Amino acid sequence: MSTLSELFLTYQSLIGFVGIDALLALSVYATLCCGQLSLANAGFMAIGAYAAAILTFHTKLPFAAVLLASALAPAAFAVPLGLPVLRLRGVFLAIATIGFGEVVRLALVNWDFTNGALGLVAIPQRAGLLTIYLILGIALFFFARLRGSKLGYALDSIREDETAARTMGINTTLAKLSMFVFGAALAGVAGGLEAHFTFMVAPSGYSFSRVVDMLVYAVVGGVATYVGPPVGAAFMTLLPEVLRGLGESVGLGPGPLRLFVSGAILLAVVLFLPNGIVSLPLLVAAVRMRRQRG
Amino acid sequence: MHRFHEPLIFALAASFAAYGADAVKVGAALSMTGPAAVYGTAQKNGIQAAVEDVNKGGSLKSVRLEAVFDDDGSKKEQGINVFQKFINQTRASVIIGPTLSTTATAADPIAQQSKVPVLAISNTAPTGITDIGDYIWRDSLTEGQVIPGAVKKARARLGFKTAGVLYGNDDVFTKAGYDVMKKALDNEGVQILETQTFAKPDRDFNAQLTALKSKNPDILVISALADNAASIVTQARQLGYTGPVLGGNGFNSPAFIKNAGSAAEGVLVGTAWNSSSQDPANQAFLKSMRDRGISPDQFTAQAYAGVLIIAEAIKQAGMKGSREDIKAGFAKVRDLPTPLGKFSFTPARDALHEPSVQQVKGGKFEILQ
Amino acid sequence: MGQQAINGIFLGSIYALFAVGYTLVFGVLDIINLAHQAVFMLGAFFALVLVGTLHVSIAVALPIAVLFSGALGILLDRIAFRPLRGRADSNLAGLITSIAVATLFEAIALQLFGPDTSRFPFGTFPERRLQVGAAVVSTLQLGIVAISVVLMVILTYLLRRTRLGRQIRAVAESPRAARILGIDVDRVIAASFFISSALGGAAGVLFALAFNSLSPDVGRSVELKGLAVIILGGMGSVPGAVLAGFAIGLIEVFTVAYLGSSYRDAVSFAVLFSVLLIRPRGLLGRAALREA
Repeated sequence: MSTLSELFLTYQSLIGFVGIDALLALSVYATLCCGQLSLANAGFMAIGAYAAAILTFHTKLPFAAVLLASALAPAAFAVPLGLPVLRLRGVFLAIATIGFGEVVRLALVNWDFTNGALGLVAIPQRAGLLTIYLILGIALFFFARLRGSKLGYALDSIREDETAARTMGINTTLAKLSMFVFGAALAGVAGGLEAHFTFMVAPSGYSFSRVVDMLVYAVVGGVATYVGPPVGAAFMTLLPEVLRGLGESVGLGPGPLRLFVSGAILLAVVLFLPNGIVSLPLLVAAVRMRRQRG
Repeated sequence: MHRFHEPLIFALAASFAAYGADAVKVGAALSMTGPAAVYGTAQKNGIQAAVEDVNKGGSLKSVRLEAVFDDDGSKKEQGINVFQKFINQTRASVIIGPTLSTTATAADPIAQQSKVPVLAISNTAPTGITDIGDYIWRDSLTEGQVIPGAVKKARARLGFKTAGVLYGNDDVFTKAGYDVMKKALDNEGVQILETQTFAKPDRDFNAQLTALKSKNPDILVISALADNAASIVTQARQLGYTGPVLGGNGFNSPAFIKNAGSAAEGVLVGTAWNSSSQDPANQAFLKSMRDRGISPDQFTAQAYAGVLIIAEAIKQAGMKGSREDIKAGFAKVRDLPTPLGKFSFTPARDALHEPSVQQVKGGKFEILQ
Repeated sequence: MGQQAINGIFLGSIYALFAVGYTLVFGVLDIINLAHQAVFMLGAFFALVLVGTLHVSIAVALPIAVLFSGALGILLDRIAFRPLRGRADSNLAGLITSIAVATLFEAIALQLFGPDTSRFPFGTFPERRLQVGAAVVSTLQLGIVAISVVLMVILTYLLRRTRLGRQIRAVAESPRAARILGIDVDRVIAASFFISSALGGAAGVLFALAFNSLSPDVGRSVELKGLAVIILGGMGSVPGAVLAGFAIGLIEVFTVAYLGSSYRDAVSFAVLFSVLLIRPRGLLGRAALREA
C-alpha cells in the first residue's frame, strides 16, 4: 500500500533517531540508577562519534570494530574522570560533568584536525535501523540482567543510602565507577551510530543542551526501571514531529508556538507524572480502582 | 500516527487537485527556531515574496509555485526529518535551504540519495555542500569568492600594511570567512599582527579588542555575523580604536547598521549582495520587500534569488517542474537577472556572480568605487 | 594591562550580579534554577520595551524591570518548584521543570520580539569616555559597576540585618527546623525567588546596556559561566558569588590577553574543575560537600 511505504520512507530517519535517543537516555540512566546525576554524556558521545568517523575515514576496519572503538574511546576517558569526580555530592557531580562536556566541545571547535566548527562530513551511512535497534536491544539486555544481580542490588542500596551501603561492605567506588564507564560507553556507541546515520559530526551537536535533552528523556520516561528512559526518548523525539504533522492541521505553524507547546508538555509530564510516562498505566489503574470503591 | 496522517494526506491531495497539476511544490527547510532563527526568518520573507511575485508576474505561464515551509530548529536531526517529509510526503519537486551548513551536510545526502534537487541559499562552507552530489546546488557565494576582492580593493584604497584579525571560530560561516581572510591578507603582503577569536554566543569583546588595539594595526579585519558584528564595532569604537574596519558577508545587513549606529560609519564590507545596486532586478526586489514592510538583508536577497533561479530552471526545462526537470534546468541557468546580479552556476554547481565591496556612509551601504 | 583590568572588573560586576541570584536559590532550595537565565533575558526585554517603545527613562525603567523580574520569579516558583515540594526527587525534577519554564519563557520572547538582536536606543544612558592613564572607561561602564555593587550591598544588608533575611538563612540551613520555629517556609522561598529573579533581571538589563546586544537566546552565554562563578564562590554564599564573579571576569579577560581567546571559556571550566576537585566548597561556601 503506497500510504504505508510512504509513511515508512518519511519516518525512517525518525525511527532511527528514536533508537539512538533511547541509547542516550539509557546512558544517563546508567548513573541515575545509583543515584548519581552525571551530565558528561554529550562529551562522551562526541568522543565516540569522532573516533568512529576518523576510523571510518582512515582505516578499513569493519563497522562492528568501529562501533566497539566508539564505545571504548569514551570509556577510556571515563575512568580517570570518574575517579575524582564521583566523590562529589549530587549537584556538584552534575556541574563537574557539565564542565567536562563543555571542555570536549571547546576542544573540538578549536582543533584543526577535527576540522573545527564544520566537523567531519561525508561519512558513509554504515548504520541502519537494524544496527541501531540491535545495539539498543543489547543495551536493554544488559540492564535486564543487571536487575537482580549482585551489582544491581549494590546499585539499589547505594541509591538508597550510600553511607549505609559502604558500611555493609559494598565497594561503592567500584560500583559507581562501573556504571559511569558503562554510561560513557553507551553514549559513545550512540555517537558512533549517529555519525554513520546522519553523514556528519560537528561540535554544535554535542552542546550542553544535548545532554539536557538526554536527561529529560530519562526523567520524563521514568527512572524507576530501565524501561522508562527509552519510552521517554521515544516520546520526546516523536513529540516535535507529531506537533509538526498535527500542527499544520490545527494551524500551529513552524515557529515559537510549537516550542512553547513542547515546553508546556514537558512541564506537565514532570508535574503530574512524577514517576514518568511509564507510570501512566499504573496511575490510570489506580484512579479506576478508587472510582470503583466509590 | 497513521490516524493523524490519513486526513493530512487527503488534504494534501485535495489541495493538489485544486491547484491543478501545474503547482510545483518548493519545500523550504529553514531554521525558524534555535540559534539560526534570525536567518531563517529573513529567508522565509524572501521566499514568500518571490513566490508571490513569480506567480503574479506570470512568467511561468500556467505553472504555479507553491512554497511549503517547515522548521529545522537549527538542528541536524530536525533538518533530516523535514527533508524526509518534503521528499516522501509533500512530494516537493525541489528543496530550498537548509539555513545552516552543518544541517546541510546531514540532510542534503538524503536528497541526493532520493534524487531531489536542493538549492542552498545560505550555505557557505567551502567544501562538503555541493560536493555531496549532482542534485545539490547553491546560490550563496562562499567567502572565498567574496573576500579576496574586498581585501584587494580596500588595500588599493587605504594602503594598509598591518592588520589585526578577529573571527568567530565556532560557526562555519565565520570560520570559513577567516580562512579566506588570512589567505587574502597574506597574498596582499599584509602582516597580521594579532589574531583573536570569539564564540557566537559571546557579547563581550572588550578583552579581544583591547589585545588587538594594543598592537596598533592599520586595519581591523573581522569575520562575524550581523549581531556580533554590531557589538564588536561598537565596543571597538568605545575602546578608542579609530582605524578602518573591514568585514565579511555577515556584516551585510541593515541590522548591523541599526545596532551599531554611528560606530558603523566607514566600515568596509565584502559582500555577495550589493544592496545599493541600481540593477532593475535588485530595484524590483527592494520595492517588493518595501511594499511588504520588510527591510531585507543578504539572506533575504539570496533566498529571493533562489526562487527566481528555480523559476528559471522550470522555464529552461520547457515549463515543466518535476524533480528531474528542475535539476536539468539548473544546469541551463545563465546570466539570469537577480537581486544578486547576473547569476549562473559554476560547473561545480556553486554560485557565480559578481561580488562587491561596500562602505557604510551616512547610515547606509554604498558601493565602494 | 590597565585597560584589561577595567574590562575584567566591568565584566565581573555583571557576572557577580547574575550569580548572586543563582546562588541564593541554591542555598535555600538546593536546586540549580536553570530558568534564571531566561528571567535575565525577559527582564532586559521588559526594560527595552519601557525605554524603546514607551520612552521611559532608564532610571525609571530599571527599577520597574527589576520588580517585573521579581514577579516572574514568584511565578516561576509557583509553577515549577512549589508543586514539587516534598517529592523525593525534587532536586532532579526541579532541574527539569526549570528547563521547561526556561523553554516557555524563550518561546514567549521569540514570539513577541522575534529572533533578531535588538539594543537599547542610542542615548539611553549618557555616555562619555574618560581617560584613565592609557585606558578608557566609559560613564556607562562606571554606572553599571556602581549599580551592580549597590544592588549587591542592598542584598547583603537584607540578608544580614532584616527579619526576612534571617528567615531566609534559617530556611537555607534547614527547612524542617525553620518550619518548627514557626517560619512560613513557602513564603520565605517565594521571597527568595523574588529577590533572586529581581537581581537576575537587573543583571540582564545591565548586560544588554553594557554590550548593546539583546536577543531571546542571550541567557545561554551566561548560564554556564554562572555555574563556574557560583562553584568558585561557594554554593549558597552570596559574598562568595560576588568575589568569584569579579574573579572570573578578570581571569577571563587576562586569559584572552595572555593565552589567546580560544582558551577563554575553557579556562572558566578549568577553574570549575580545579575547585571541585581541590576545594569543593569554593572560596566562601559551607563545608561538608562530599559524600559523608
